[in-house]
Amino acid sequence: MANTYSILRNCACLILFIFLFNGCTSSPEKAVHKVYNVEIKQMQFQPASLTVQKGDTVIWTNHDIVAHDVTEEKEKRWTSGPLAPGESWSLVVTESADYYCSIHVIMKGKLIVQ
Amino acid sequence: MKSKIFFKLFTATVIASAMAFSIPVSAQETPKLTDAEIASVAVTANQIDIEYAQIAQKKSKNADVLKFAETMAKDHQSVIDQAVALATKLGVTPKDNATTKSFLAGAVKTKAMLNSKNGDAFNKAYIDNEVAYHKAAINEVENVLIPDATNSELKNLLQSALPIFKTHLAHAEMVQKEFSK
Repeated sequence: MANTYSILRNCACLILFIFLFNGCTSSPEKAVHKVYNVEIKQMQFQPASLTVQKGDTVIWTNHDIVAHDVTEEKEKRWTSGPLAPGESWSLVVTESADYYCSIHVIMKGKLIVQ
Repeated sequence: MKSKIFFKLFTATVIASAMAFSIPVSAQETPKLTDAEIASVAVTANQIDIEYAQIAQKKSKNADVLKFAETMAKDHQSVIDQAVALATKLGVTPKDNATTKSFLAGAVKTKAMLNSKNGDAFNKAYIDNEVAYHKAAINEVENVLIPDATNSELKNLLQSALPIFKTHLAHAEMVQKEFSK
């Protein structure tokens, strides 16, 4: 009985130690990444220009009745592929970029990483 | 007495002029279109532009023209699908009318003109027609179809289609610059 009590006490101490250790070593400035939404509606990206931090996520959602895509404009480094009406696509942003809809080439947007 | 003679002459001239020149459909006192007629115009106008795109896909080798034609075929089919789905939901059967007939008559002539051309002459003719056609379609949707529509869902669909047609026009005008150099 005493042996069981000792084991339980040791386990509790170990859990407490791990908890405290993690608490001490975790950086208090750990970045909290945000999630932003860009609506595709009336043949526009809304907002057309978005300022984010590196590592933030942007979600594009197509509210139009035709398909769109979201494509990096200069070198085509990334693309959503066709987004049917109602579909969404997300990107973790690592650098600033101009983007457009390659289906409707006059639709343009901009991501600015601070 | 002189004024009576002048009035008779004036009246005769006006009547003769009216008989000599056919007044365009849009300038006439046309009755309001019903929702069934609006559905017919919407489907017909979109179908015509798909047919123009199909001609371009067969005849053109220009990458920008082919890309534009592909977008036209897909987008206008999406609008037709939405219009047909809504008409089915509302129990409306699209009904032929003067505007539909006018669009179809114009399309016969335009398709014959497009089919008679090749190479850059075709590309220019196709894209010039797309600019003119979308301008006419935007005018029709903005000034006739949306004001005449009585069903709110039909009105909403037309309002959703309008920015699509305006984007097509801007895209066509961008490609058009390539052939006006």
